[in-house]
Amino acid sequence: MSTIKNGYKILYQKLFHLDDRLLLIIAGSIAGICSGLAAVALRLSLESVLEWLHPFRHYGWAFIFPAIGALLSSLYLEKIAREGAGHGVPEVIYSVSRYGGLLRFRSSYSRLISSFLTIGSGGSAGPEAPVVMSGSAIGSSLAKFLGLNDRQRITLVGCGTAGAIASIFNAPIAGLVFSIEVILGEWKFVNIIPIAIAAVAGAQVSQAIIPEQVLFFHQPFNVGFPDIMASLCLALVTAMISVLFTKTLRQTGKLAKKAPFPLWVRAVIGGCIVGITGMFMPVVLAEGYHFIQSMISGTFSMGIFITFVAIFAKIFATSMTLGWGGSGGIFAPCLLIGSLTGIVFHKALFFLFPTIGCASEGAYALLGMTGIISGVMQAPLTGIFLIVEITGGYETILPLIVVSSISSTMSHYIEPASFYFKELIERGQFLRPGTDARILSDLNISELIQTEFIKVSENMVFRKFIEILKTSKQNFYPVIEDETGDYKGVIQISAIRKYALDPGMYDMIFLNQIMDTNVITASLENDLQEVLDMMDIDNMESIPVVENDRFIGMISKTRILDLYRRELIMQTSVQ
Amino acid sequence: MNYKLLHIFRNTPFGRETFFQSLYFCKMINAYPVVYIPKSDKFLMYFSNDAVQVDLDHSYLTTPATAKSHAEELFNEMGVKPMFYEPKNFTASSLPDISTNIDYLCCPRSVSDLSSKIGLGHIGPKVRRIIKHATFPILITSPVFKPWKSISVFFGGSKNALTALKLGLKIAMSSGLFLDIYTLLEKDEVYYRDLIKKEGLDAPVSQLSKQWHFYKKSNFDTMLYDVPHNSLIVLGAYGHGIIKDLLLGSKMEQIQSTVTNNLLITGPYCTVSL
Repeated sequence: MSTIKNGYKILYQKLFHLDDRLLLIIAGSIAGICSGLAAVALRLSLESVLEWLHPFRHYGWAFIFPAIGALLSSLYLEKIAREGAGHGVPEVIYSVSRYGGLLRFRSSYSRLISSFLTIGSGGSAGPEAPVVMSGSAIGSSLAKFLGLNDRQRITLVGCGTAGAIASIFNAPIAGLVFSIEVILGEWKFVNIIPIAIAAVAGAQVSQAIIPEQVLFFHQPFNVGFPDIMASLCLALVTAMISVLFTKTLRQTGKLAKKAPFPLWVRAVIGGCIVGITGMFMPVVLAEGYHFIQSMISGTFSMGIFITFVAIFAKIFATSMTLGWGGSGGIFAPCLLIGSLTGIVFHKALFFLFPTIGCASEGAYALLGMTGIISGVMQAPLTGIFLIVEITGGYETILPLIVVSSISSTMSHYIEPASFYFKELIERGQFLRPGTDARILSDLNISELIQTEFIKVSENMVFRKFIEILKTSKQNFYPVIEDETGDYKGVIQISAIRKYALDPGMYDMIFLNQIMDTNVITASLENDLQEVLDMMDIDNMESIPVVENDRFIGMISKTRILDLYRRELIMQTSVQ
Repeated sequence: MNYKLLHIFRNTPFGRETFFQSLYFCKMINAYPVVYIPKSDKFLMYFSNDAVQVDLDHSYLTTPATAKSHAEELFNEMGVKPMFYEPKNFTASSLPDISTNIDYLCCPRSVSDLSSKIGLGHIGPKVRRIIKHATFPILITSPVFKPWKSISVFFGGSKNALTALKLGLKIAMSSGLFLDIYTLLEKDEVYYRDLIKKEGLDAPVSQLSKQWHFYKKSNFDTMLYDVPHNSLIVLGAYGHGIIKDLLLGSKMEQIQSTVTNNLLITGPYCTVSL
């Protein structure tokens, strides 16, 4: 037994304590491969089930498919996996910003199964967010297994995310950019290399298993100056649609929560509505990759009015799917809504200016996709790199940048928080590295408390207190009840000056007569932000911390500043 | 002392028994209980290297309207000031994060499995994971309220057993009760005595312990029978490592499934200072 133990120790020390970067690169590539496999598994299983159900879609009763899928998905999540519905990306961001990327192992498979049920049955959602959740949880679990610290664990969460996105879209750069721009929120040298390697590993897994199945084929586009001018207008349109999509998603979710039904009933209702919508407009069903490809290649045959209606139908169907209990992400719906918007814009452009020398519909579908991705996620780089990479359409890079930057800026102007961040911001839990809120949340209140304080009895005569004052440098004296040891109030030196200057009072007053009982107190349960807010209210330099009626210590602004600086240096240093 | 014990309240007769046990424990060691009344059937506890989702059985959500008043009644009955915990952070809307900034946690043997609530059964996987990652001791209560009148520490010589011994001494100090130490001999007696001497625990042990009982390795069941029925058992978990546990079985599991006493368990990350 001891030989095995020693062998394991030597292996652990040699392999994992060699170099931090090497360790992250090795572990990151494992996370990338595993999350890539998860993404491929979901994609292949979705393709199989969608193909299997396809012959039945034309029957009148087929509207029930999305309802059955949503029902099974919600029951699975609620009763078996015991997780909440939704896409899970805010959960990953929350865990990265607050708990060093700690995620539950069950998240590595639960969302894959639930989104397979939802999307496979025709629910309007995308498989990307579930694979992000899965990849992140794989990275986190790997870090837990290796006993890594918070910073290393966060990097592995990023690796899992990048591997998943890279694998599902066969787009390693987009995986890297999404992971850093959306999930981690910081561009650090130590993160970039392992995440890039994980993204490449994820993409390679996808290519090795399904080399023939490219998601979208490249089409050559002739992009000129008129397209760049037109893309300015398209950017504004996509920004509007993005805001509408974000708001509809959130409002529908809120409405569903108010409905007096259990989750599974809500899921069935939402699924039926999506199914009925899909009977009239099949473009809204499932992830819609097939329709996106036809729009890029210019073979999409719907007229301008129907296409225009399809934009709103897809927004509605996605909101009903995700808001009412289904499981999946908004990535693929964004791509579909964006390409539909691009097509409508192109058709409208030619209707208004028949002689204009613009690029083909496909190019505008790409621009529309970038606009919506950038607008909804407010992640312009992800929007640009994803579209360029998955379509290979580098000739559209200039208008892509224009659309992406304007759309994300306009969306941010109208709706300051992206869909992923909105919920976290509302809960006050959007804590990006290096920001004030994050630094404050990372400071532990117990390490801020100064406990070396002389406590005084409430029945102490003032003369005795004066004697204590002579030898002490404290400005605050907690007053304690003799019998119970409970905190009763505080004596501030500045507040008792008039008594201290009058020796005649020394034997006439007791501390319980002059102590301040109205001083706000903090407790160990308070966040540092709350403590600072309390101090601001009364313009206090120090605040007593009281727990269960016992005086614990004082927190001073000077101490907070010291530790704040230390934390800031730690979070923003290169290493 | 100003130690905090977190109790997850179950508004049932069984929950009342475990809550009484928590209150009694707090009174004995001068700690204060804080009650969390669950509003959903799951919550998360974030430890330094793991996130444990605790899926509660449905009895935790029984008649939520009366839960708080019942808890207050029990607080008053034991003469303890009612204090309640409200989670501030949520991983998802129905998944609150429960603070791990506590000194003790009271758990039944299983939180997820209704069938094992009265019988001793096995320690549920969630409780095991909490024990494994917690920096605080876990109080696993007896199935019915059972005031303890002595303290028994199971000391096997591992690092976790030393933590358990320190905890036993600490509780003996604050409760004024003597403790008994029980050791199954895997090495000779001198080894164990030297061990506590090396840790500087010989003085408090001689001062606070009534007797140190040594048993031959094969007399495990005899040792368990000799432990007074109304004694708080303090023991360390995961002292032998996962491989030994898998091969030989977990001592903690054997003990908890045999004795009906209240157990106070320290895991590998638990820290106790005298």
